[in-house]
Amino acid sequence: MNIMNEFAAHKRSGTISDTRVKASFGSRLGFGVLYLILGILAVIQIYPLFWLFLFSLKTNQEVFGMSPFALPQHPQWANYPKVWSQGHINLYFFNSVWYTVVAVLLTIILASFVTFAITRMNWKLSRFVLGLFIVGLMIPLHSTLIPLFNFFKHMHLINNPLSVILSYTAFNLPVTIMILLGFYQAIPREIEEAGVMDGCSVHRIFLRIVLPLTTPVLATTAIINMIYNWNEFVFVNTFISSDRWKTLTVGVNNFVGQYLTDWGAIGATLMISILPILIAFLLLSNRIVEGLAAGSVKG
Amino acid sequence: MNKKKALPIIVVLVVMLSLALSGCTSPDNSASGSQGASNGQTVIKFMHLWPEGSSNAQYTIVNKIIQDYEKQHPDIKIQTEILGNDQYREKLKVLASSNELPDVGMTWSDGFLKPYVEGQLFTPLDDVIDANLKDNFIPGVKESYAIDGKTYGMPLELNISYIFYNKELFKKYNLQVPKTYSEFKNIVKTLNDNGVIPAAVGNKEGWPGSFWFMYLADRIGGPTLLTDVIHGKRSFDDPAIVKAAEEVQSLVDMNTFEKGNSGLSNDEAKGYFMNEQAAMFLTATWELPNYTTSPDVPQAFKDKIGYFKFPLYEGGKGTDINSYVGGPGVGLFVAENSEVKEQAKDFAAFLVKEWGDKSVTDAGVIPATKVDTAGKKLDPMYVEILKDLSSASNVTTYFDTQASPNVAELHHDLIAALFGKQITPQQFVQQTAAALAEESN
Amino acid sequence: MKAVMSNKSAIALYVLPALLLILIIIYIPLVLTGYYGMMDWKGFAPMKFIGLDNYNKLIHDSMFWKSTYHSVLLGICSTFSLLIYLAVSMVLASRIKGANLFRKIYLIPMLLSSVAIAQLWSKIYDPSNGMLNHLLTSIGIQNPPLWLSDPNIVLFAIFVPIVWQYAGFYIIIYYAALKNVSEEVIEAATIDGATPWQVASRIKLPLISPVFKVTIILALVGSLKYFDLIFVMTGGGPNHASEVMASYMYGEAFSKYNFGYGSAVGFALLLICLLMTWLIRKLTTSGEDVQY
Repeated sequence: MNIMNEFAAHKRSGTISDTRVKASFGSRLGFGVLYLILGILAVIQIYPLFWLFLFSLKTNQEVFGMSPFALPQHPQWANYPKVWSQGHINLYFFNSVWYTVVAVLLTIILASFVTFAITRMNWKLSRFVLGLFIVGLMIPLHSTLIPLFNFFKHMHLINNPLSVILSYTAFNLPVTIMILLGFYQAIPREIEEAGVMDGCSVHRIFLRIVLPLTTPVLATTAIINMIYNWNEFVFVNTFISSDRWKTLTVGVNNFVGQYLTDWGAIGATLMISILPILIAFLLLSNRIVEGLAAGSVKG
Repeated sequence: MNKKKALPIIVVLVVMLSLALSGCTSPDNSASGSQGASNGQTVIKFMHLWPEGSSNAQYTIVNKIIQDYEKQHPDIKIQTEILGNDQYREKLKVLASSNELPDVGMTWSDGFLKPYVEGQLFTPLDDVIDANLKDNFIPGVKESYAIDGKTYGMPLELNISYIFYNKELFKKYNLQVPKTYSEFKNIVKTLNDNGVIPAAVGNKEGWPGSFWFMYLADRIGGPTLLTDVIHGKRSFDDPAIVKAAEEVQSLVDMNTFEKGNSGLSNDEAKGYFMNEQAAMFLTATWELPNYTTSPDVPQAFKDKIGYFKFPLYEGGKGTDINSYVGGPGVGLFVAENSEVKEQAKDFAAFLVKEWGDKSVTDAGVIPATKVDTAGKKLDPMYVEILKDLSSASNVTTYFDTQASPNVAELHHDLIAALFGKQITPQQFVQQTAAALAEESN
Repeated sequence: MKAVMSNKSAIALYVLPALLLILIIIYIPLVLTGYYGMMDWKGFAPMKFIGLDNYNKLIHDSMFWKSTYHSVLLGICSTFSLLIYLAVSMVLASRIKGANLFRKIYLIPMLLSSVAIAQLWSKIYDPSNGMLNHLLTSIGIQNPPLWLSDPNIVLFAIFVPIVWQYAGFYIIIYYAALKNVSEEVIEAATIDGATPWQVASRIKLPLISPVFKVTIILALVGSLKYFDLIFVMTGGGPNHASEVMASYMYGEAFSKYNFGYGSAVGFALLLICLLMTWLIRKLTTSGEDVQY
């Protein structure tokens, strides 16, 4: 609740400055406290990245026992080339990227279709179908693993990336639809009424009017989907057996041994695998803002 | 109108799906099934758990053996799939449930093996063992893979456990290697008084703490006690087992172990020993490379490490210090429904034999086959331990390995609770006894 | 209007591909899981039909109820932590300097895989060498808690990284929702003399309430079936003190080879999720906006 008060204090100061009245001492203090809190939160959230970097340069002995703050005594830069050559990272990297991209696109397109049909169109079974998607959210992945493996086996899709991509898409559809749902409901009905008046077809209304309005939330769901797919582990491990089709998350596995685990190498793998997703995230994250700007111009 | 507009969407979808499909269905010889071998070769699928990254030495040996085998048998192609430890176990289970086991794979002994054998997934290997490896195994090891007189696995590893200790810390406080349990307790006390953690143990997964319990049971109740319990000859609520559990808690009360050990993994606890915060570490010989040959560990540390056998308990029935807790690690199985069963068996036997020759020198792993140390350059600690192994009076296979997966899981949970003092020794014994009784019904 | 928006072939075109996909990938396996739940099955040995015996066992299984209790507790706590996320998002969505940067930073933990997060927090919680207890002893606390091995604390100790990990997820959703609120509405209200507090509570919150309701369900269901971090960090221990439904199911099916019983637990998990979702709907439904 503190944050809420801070927030109120800040908002007050914001409006005052908006109306060009000089900020009082009290509001400036509130502002300072607010930034302090935001700053502390930021440090807490960003620290792991720094920690992971240190971690990737440590020996097993330094990882365990020494303080996690401690700098590595002899930075193990060799962990990186080692991971690159022994972990097949170069091979897995490409797979990770294209599975993620295909699955994200597929999920977002399918989810947009469904959400549009459910929230904007009139048909009898819409609530039942929505129910099916929402219940899909509640199914723990592990309880479907063995039947799913059997299914893919019969379809001859074991050790085929399609099994992984289809699973990602299916399991991410519910959450994506859920997120889209709230936004679609917030779009005023007048917008498509106007479209109908102008004689647009339903596809035109969807593709030209409604879909562009949802760009920011599409970017949001894209980020979320991307993160899920990028870090997914169980499906790849279960459905894929040849190195050729494995992904980066499974690459970590290469350093977990029967009796000995090479933690430094795991750190290096994680570090390498986080960079692309970080860049993608930063780019997409800007899209949210841009999309909003574009939307407000139209609105 | 509408249908025309729908067209582009369908086209987009179809293109995307077909792109995805074409990307995947492109020919991939290395991953095709055992029948789909190119140029008439027979493909044997082999799944193991020694990835290049974490188990480089093992990985290299296995690859070398595969190459040799393929050279000798040009008509055979070995196709490997490699997974990390936990993922290996999980995947084996999924594969088994769909009857898709690899032709040759790795299994653990006793309790792990049993459901697979009952499900008729593994094939008996007695014929190849008799033909190729008749007297090669260390006595008693391959029996761990036998059910109803048939052997379903060929062991690759054998580990026994010792208390490894930091010689420098012992010297600093004038401590001698203990022969008896009361001497051991005095050491614990001295170390504690000087602010050194006497022993490291990580009980998050339970099994490391079980080592202490198993040794105490061996020393108090005699070397066959726990094995007898598994075979239903004795009950888990035997007074000797109660006593052993009580001794575990009295060690806990003496602050023998680092604080909060029931939340620490074995690797985390090992950190206390490797960083010389703890003076002793009860573990098995798979750790030997860390104390001898591993290039990742400083020589100064390796020089400080010695080992001793678990001390004898005054008045206990286990009077032979050469009785160990240990057991085989992984072994090889051949799938019952393999289409290339005979070739697979032959390859597995070849691998076990070659592995025995190379594993000690190249990987620091003690194989389940007899090792001829003559002419091999080995670290003195290995030579000692191989000598111990040949004069061992008994090796009690780990209780959790011998038990069914159900009881093993319970045992791990209860050990963590026993070390964390969340249950009493009586509860520990009763709950295990109840689970064992339920199973024998 | 009506005619255009009830175009049957368009509806089919929009809904069927996704529907087919989830039917095949999620529902058929689910039905099979329900079926396995009625079997005595080790995962590979022949199955034996035992009717509802597994479910009967479940009802009397105190460990299952204990793990359910933990899951529900986790669900309720996660739902309440949404308020924190919402508050932070509202601050970020107001026009303060650096909001963009903060928003990005807050999402970073979500980018990390569970392996990395579990490692990090194990280092933080380590009883003697950990960051947290270093800090506590340095400010004079003699016997700091043994975070992951004290059965009374462990659930709370696990909850903190979960809140931390998912902060970014909810913040970007709320942020996008808040940014969707039209600026003109807010400006109009401000000109009419509404205080910032009134703008927030009377305009922004009601406008994003559909999104908020959705996130409640996401948070609740997400934590009811939560698995990753708990499995890696404590494995449900010590002595089941942090066991949740999903880890219990996994343990039964994959560690103990009771695949039949594990399937029954998985099915029960689904039923409990449904029940909780239904409850939430009852609690949050107001007026005509009943859509889900």
